Amino acid sequence: MIKVNIDGQEITLEKPMTILAAAQRAGIKIPTLCYDKQLEPFGGCRLCLVEIERVPKLMASCTVNVTDGMVVRTQTEKVKKARKAQLEFLLINHPLDCPVCDKAGECDLQDLVAQYGAHEGRFLEGKRKHPESFRDPIIVRNMERCITCTRCVRMCDGVQGAFAITVTGRGNHSFVEPFTGGEYKCEYCGNCLTVCPVGAIMSKLHRHSYRPWYVEKEIKTICGFCAVGCTLIAQTRGKDIIRTMPKHGLGINDGILCVRGRFGYDYRSGEGRITTPLIRKDSGELEPASWETAIDYAARRLADIKERHGVASIGGIGSGRCTNEDNYMLQKLIRYVIGSNNMDSSARFAFAPAQKYLERMFGQGVTANLIPGIANADGVIVFGGDPTAINPILGVQCRIARRKGAKVIVIGAPAGLKGFVDYKLEPVVGCEEVVLRAIVKGVVDKKGLSGENAYIENKIKKLMSPDDETIERVGVAVADIAKAVDNILKMKSPVVVIGPEAVHTSSASLNLFLLGVINYVLNGRIFLLSEKANYQGLLDMGCAPDVVPGGRPIELDIIEHKFQDLLGSKTPEEHGMNLYEMIDAAKNGKLKALYVMGDNPLFNYPDREHIEDAFNKIDFLIVQDISLNDTVKMADVVFPANSWLEKDGTFINLGRSLQRLRKALSMDGCWDDWKIVAEVAKKLGMKKSYESSKDVWEEIRKVSPLYRDVDYVGLDEQALTWPYMGEPIRGLEGDFKVEGLEQVLGNVAKGSDGFMGLTNPVLMLERPLFHSGSMSGMSKALLSIYGAPYFKISKTLALRYGFKEGDKVRVIMEKGEIDASAQIDVNMQDGVVYLSNIFEGVGYMGVVGYKVDAVVGSLVITNNNIVDIVRVED
Amino acid sequence: MKKVLLKNIENPDSALLTEYMRVGGYKNLKSAVKEMTPRDIIDDVKESGLRGRGGAGFPTGMKWQFASMDPKFPKYLVCNADEGEPGTFKDRPILEKNPHLLIEGMVIAAYALQCSRGYIYLRGEYPQAKVILESAIDEAYKKGFLGDDILKRHFKFNLSVYQGAGAYICGEETALIESLEGRRGQPRIKPPFPVNAGLWGRPTIVNNVETFANIPLIIEIGPKSYAAIGNTACPGPKLFSVSGCVKRPGVYELPMGTTLKEIVYEHCGGLVDGRTLKGIIPGGLSTPILTPDKIDCAMDFVNLPKAGSQLGSGAVMVFDDSVCLVKVYERAMKFFEHESCGKCTPCREGTGWMRNILGRIECGRATAEDVDTLIDVANNISGATFCPLGDGAAGVVLAFVNNYRDEIDYHIKYKKCC
Amino acid sequence: MENNNVKTIRDFIEREKKSYASIESTVIPALHEAEGVYGWISPEAIEDISNYTGVSKAKIKGTATFYAMYKNKPMGRHLIQLCTNVVCMVMGSESLLSLLNERYELEPGGMTSDGRFSLVIMECIGACGTAPAMLVDADYYDNLNEKNIFEILDKYQ
Ligand SMILES: Cc1cc2nc3c(=O)[nH]c(=O)nc-3n(C[C@H](O)[C@H](O)[C@H](O)COP(=O)(O)O)c2cc1C
Ligand code: SF4
Ligand code: FES
Repeated sequence: MIKVNIDGQEITLEKPMTILAAAQRAGIKIPTLCYDKQLEPFGGCRLCLVEIERVPKLMASCTVNVTDGMVVRTQTEKVKKARKAQLEFLLINHPLDCPVCDKAGECDLQDLVAQYGAHEGRFLEGKRKHPESFRDPIIVRNMERCITCTRCVRMCDGVQGAFAITVTGRGNHSFVEPFTGGEYKCEYCGNCLTVCPVGAIMSKLHRHSYRPWYVEKEIKTICGFCAVGCTLIAQTRGKDIIRTMPKHGLGINDGILCVRGRFGYDYRSGEGRITTPLIRKDSGELEPASWETAIDYAARRLADIKERHGVASIGGIGSGRCTNEDNYMLQKLIRYVIGSNNMDSSARFAFAPAQKYLERMFGQGVTANLIPGIANADGVIVFGGDPTAINPILGVQCRIARRKGAKVIVIGAPAGLKGFVDYKLEPVVGCEEVVLRAIVKGVVDKKGLSGENAYIENKIKKLMSPDDETIERVGVAVADIAKAVDNILKMKSPVVVIGPEAVHTSSASLNLFLLGVINYVLNGRIFLLSEKANYQGLLDMGCAPDVVPGGRPIELDIIEHKFQDLLGSKTPEEHGMNLYEMIDAAKNGKLKALYVMGDNPLFNYPDREHIEDAFNKIDFLIVQDISLNDTVKMADVVFPANSWLEKDGTFINLGRSLQRLRKALSMDGCWDDWKIVAEVAKKLGMKKSYESSKDVWEEIRKVSPLYRDVDYVGLDEQALTWPYMGEPIRGLEGDFKVEGLEQVLGNVAKGSDGFMGLTNPVLMLERPLFHSGSMSGMSKALLSIYGAPYFKISKTLALRYGFKEGDKVRVIMEKGEIDASAQIDVNMQDGVVYLSNIFEGVGYMGVVGYKVDAVVGSLVITNNNIVDIVRVED
Repeated sequence: MKKVLLKNIENPDSALLTEYMRVGGYKNLKSAVKEMTPRDIIDDVKESGLRGRGGAGFPTGMKWQFASMDPKFPKYLVCNADEGEPGTFKDRPILEKNPHLLIEGMVIAAYALQCSRGYIYLRGEYPQAKVILESAIDEAYKKGFLGDDILKRHFKFNLSVYQGAGAYICGEETALIESLEGRRGQPRIKPPFPVNAGLWGRPTIVNNVETFANIPLIIEIGPKSYAAIGNTACPGPKLFSVSGCVKRPGVYELPMGTTLKEIVYEHCGGLVDGRTLKGIIPGGLSTPILTPDKIDCAMDFVNLPKAGSQLGSGAVMVFDDSVCLVKVYERAMKFFEHESCGKCTPCREGTGWMRNILGRIECGRATAEDVDTLIDVANNISGATFCPLGDGAAGVVLAFVNNYRDEIDYHIKYKKCC
Repeated sequence: MENNNVKTIRDFIEREKKSYASIESTVIPALHEAEGVYGWISPEAIEDISNYTGVSKAKIKGTATFYAMYKNKPMGRHLIQLCTNVVCMVMGSESLLSLLNERYELEPGGMTSDGRFSLVIMECIGACGTAPAMLVDADYYDNLNEKNIFEILDKYQ
């Protein structure tokens, strides 16, 4: 117990803390500038000086800990004079350009000067001059305004872990700079500009168009760019978003954001946004139509096809970008209004089957874990994708864990975790499984098995491990594996982060099994990376052929007739088609009508020729989206939808936390997805009407006991994590299959045929930090950072094919060709070329093929061997 | 008094191991390691009354005891050879002429403190000292005074030189540690103190060159005889670097507590004929200036504060009536402005402001009000800075204004020097 | 040529890192080394050091610019570092500065047009007893006066 007296108030504390923290607890406000709760203390600004009894000098309360019996005064004349003095010092070199400074009104310095005085300005000489830097696409730097509090630098190093900026120079010539001095060329998280207390680091996006008092509304919502589900505050004026900001103490992200959440909001007004329904006329052209007409038309055609070809000829594709309410409504239309189980989504490619597989191993809810908890893990094992790019704030948590002492083990390219890993476990691309196998074998051999789960343990016993020669052959040092094993054995609360690439290979089941084994042996927590914001919600809402809302297996419901009782129509008994099957059925002419909500299969799914062929054969295609994409262009009816910043609803993040979205503003001409679907459903006979997304949620609560006690309004305050105090269904665990346990050699041989021994490189999918898919491609801000497609390629490969950085090259594949510029990356392996799938016309997916993994059901990329690369003239 | 710290330096080869050993070098190391326990050594250093020679005068034995009480290992031993205080050049003769004395002192300290790794943080401006030190360290390794099995006693100590790159603040021990870790040399928050969490978070003992150079003597003559040298409150031999307007400037080894008058008039031969004394800075540029009437003050950690100044590094800077003190302090403030690390507001912004005002006084563009502002600015810096650098800058200005107000007023009135 | 520089720096860091518990400590010595190799702290020098230490380029730049002695631009063949701190000033370094300016048109921070000398003014270089003093490259000269300074500099062509 520590007793202190601050300004006459007796305070009792259990544990030591700074005077500042103790004062804050007692509600006593001490002014600060360099202090920030999220950052390591610095003690530089000297604003927080206080008087301590029997200490002759004033002390900085942000760095001095309280001791028992300490008597502190924070409001004496001496203290006030000292504060005023510091402000006067700061104003020596700080320009008084508040009228043209975007920070005015929310500037800590301005506020403090107003409070303590110091405006007389006894300093006579000229101020330090330093030209403002506009050389960055996103960030404006005005170092005349910098007060050297170093909050930005401590944020960049200590939280974000990007190490992109630094204080250069010394004394009153200290400036904050990125390495280049001009462009930041960093991760553009923008967290530096949130912590800047003055107008020294600002966003270019709202330059000279922002004043705090311009903000008409502040709406707390959830970012829709990925499945971390960061909380952000959208500040609006009229029909515009002025900016989006994180807030300390709020949400999973607790005061930080990534580049997409921070700067990507202008996707809304980006090119290609559609704001009116369209109908394909006899002329073959898409023409604007009224909502009434378009909905009528859609319903009529669906009814007609149902009558002529039966319910099995109609299917729906839900969206990971849409809310639970949207997806619930689409599956309701397909399943309970039309009567078909043909419901699926692109979650089928990786997220859904991976989760199902892991649930088979461990039971439901295995992925329900809190993302901020990663920071407290003592070990992080990453496989199959770069968390810092796919789910950036989760990646930041991994970095923080490392800083707190966790060992971070990445199998594959460390990418954004470079500098946060301890040794190199980067095998030849395609042979990651060999390394994983060796590690698991090592861990199991040393640690032994508990006997808890016979299914898992019986399989472990059959696991073959690669010999040393094989390990070295795939490019990893045996000693490094031994070190990794030693470290893993020491972990007490590890997390296992699994990315999509873990299942986009024919070792899908083996990879998942092995990662599961690590989790099993160490009692870890699993995080399944998810690109789209609501892949989890999509599954939980029944956008899959075999589950109904609440995640209940369809068989169960057929017996219980739950929906019959509640909705008046029962769950169809006939087996539904999954995504792959629907595509094949379309190609075979069996699927006649498809309702696509918030997805662009033509661009986002592999094997464009195949998809295009299938879609061409569909009689009636409804597409509901925000922009005029490739699939929209093929549609018979197009509905313009609101995007995440424009709607209310709920998302479920990758750790299965249920969170509430709030509509920031509206988009003229667009409707919420659920509403469009509901209107179509009504025309097809649905009785129920909904006023708002809340009404939809109320229905979801009724039909699924899992959400029984989840109050929509209450969600505004607090996110809930699975099982939401509801009733999950148990009993999904059981035996599962693994392929390739006993065939190390076979797999390595595959590795060597597939990748290693091959003379030509393979084309791999780049999942860049700056984009999350097509939506981000509409954002001018994000495009200014990453504006055009390129091939990422190693120096050796470039040399071999005879081109250099920036040259335009053509990559020839079995399934097509692609032109883009070449970008040389020194950290890259020679056997691979990376291409993103963001820019229409130049997407990765279009030129590769796929097959379905027989065990996991995930999408396995095929035909990705490059035939040739040639330079092309512009 | 027999010279100890500067022993044998007239010998052009004094830096060689053979020469050092010829005059009894490393004898004390041998007896320390063979006849004493680490505890004994720490007790002796405490009893000797040795106070750090880097400027702050912290009792060395106490520092060592704190470090030895910390259970964390490894512990690091760091020699502060940053000697950046203007006017100071006392460590240089040890580094360049008597490097083995420093090494011997450090190895004894390492033994007492159970450090297996040491660094000499040498200022970048001493390139020759680097060459000399490195070759001395080489020699010591070859003779088994450094290395993995020193004097065959299974005692290990490795030592190397780390070269700074021009930053006065790196003389401050926590900034020095930051610099040793490869970063910008800005001071760290204390506590924790280096003795508990210094280099790489480990207990770290930082001592000045001259402090280490005193250790062999304590071993040789014992703490009692050592304590009898000079002033009883802060005993031992002390190096004084004297510069400025005296006939024989240079480094003098004298007992602690020698008076300023004796140093200036007896050892340095007094002022140039015909000149009168205007002021003396007794301990380097960051210590307050003394007026000529304080000349009888004894030079030590006790008496100088009473006279209104500090011993600092013992760098005596003498100014006669030909010198314009306003100009001296304008230049001094330029130094502090240039060397301010930029971490804290008052020092970063205030030193430049004081330099500006002093500059205006110097060139005759100032008013009486400016002097008031100067005093106020200095008062505002005092006590508000993160580390003593800024505090020192304000302190010396205040002392100057208080003691030489006439000269300043003259400048303002007549727009020239008196 | 380029590759040699890179190799020198890499080998240096490899050697040095054994002396420290953290590789970051090699940054300051490596900057000294890189200055020898590149003549100044060029962006390439920083990139090399960053590559081998894993310390970010921005961090290294921050470190390099904190210390006054690192050369942030290419320098002449010889570097004159003249002390102008209090004692040297009192003992006459100002007139030496103006002489250097007269003779070579050399300003503090500048370089002669033939690239022979660069001039940097220094804070105290620890030679106050024999002031004024300077360093030319790594050599110390003290007790300077209007005559001997040019005799000394004549040795540096
Ligand atoms: C601004 C500043 C500069 C300093 N410069 C030096 C220096 O150049 N050499 C030195 O030994 N100590 C210097 N010190 C003192 C050190 O911080 C530290 O007290 C000293 O190295 C401890 O050694 P000692 O106990 O042997 O004196 C400086 C302190 C400050 C605040
Ligand atoms: S007083 Fe402040 S700015 Fe000055 S050197 Fe110390 S920490 Fe740096
Ligand atoms: S908040 Fe304490 S010094 Fe800045």
